[in-house]
Amino acid sequence: MKMIRAFIRPEKDQEVVLALEGAGFPALTKMPVFGRGKQKGLQVGPIHYDELPKTLIMMVIDDKDVDKVINLIQDKAKTGFIGDGKIFVSPVEAAYTVRTGEAVL
Amino acid sequence: MKEITAIIRRDKVTETKQALVDIGYPSLTIQSVDGRGKQKGTMHTDMDSDNFITAVKLTPTPSTYALEHTLPKVALFVPKKMLTIVVPDDVVSTLVKAIIKVNQKGMYGDGKVFVSPIEGALRVRTGEKDGEAIT
Repeated sequence: MKMIRAFIRPEKDQEVVLALEGAGFPALTKMPVFGRGKQKGLQVGPIHYDELPKTLIMMVIDDKDVDKVINLIQDKAKTGFIGDGKIFVSPVEAAYTVRTGEAVL
Repeated sequence: MKEITAIIRRDKVTETKQALVDIGYPSLTIQSVDGRGKQKGTMHTDMDSDNFITAVKLTPTPSTYALEHTLPKVALFVPKKMLTIVVPDDVVSTLVKAIIKVNQKGMYGDGKVFVSPIEGALRVRTGEKDGEAIT
């Protein structure tokens, strides 16, 4: 299993979530976060924004679905401008469903 | 070292924290998150009696209105708490069992527990590394 953490534009989250649901991945967790990237924030005239609001989407999926999910998120979250976000993939060893107590995703 | 990520009901945080204290691993991080699972964000709780469902239909909220009319589809989310705990390998199964025991109501929405590997740790105050940093 792998955990996907995608940092995307907050205004794109509904679009991404609905696309994932349509492809058969309805389960995910989202949270609002603040961050900055290589460009050290954003300069608009005299005003400098050091940290910009993003939405973090976290989901745990089977190894074989990783490429599919990453492509889906990239397809929907992409605008082509700086600040589209990043996707990170990390390993997960076990996943338990609390309701049943079973170790299945 | 392993990281336990538990996504649980908001009203179970106090009980879960007490259960962790009883085992001897009280340190944790709590975050408020929004989640959805297989049921796509539909609520399944104690209130799921016929009377309650009728009451909800009579007093439409933006979500129920969107569900009943052909408005642009809205992705629904349920508020949850996410606990992150980093512990040594040998206590992982004990902690997971305890978390499941406390949070198990037997209904949809009880949550998920994930276990993933952590490669290193550092206690900022003293500079202790890895195993010492999390005891």
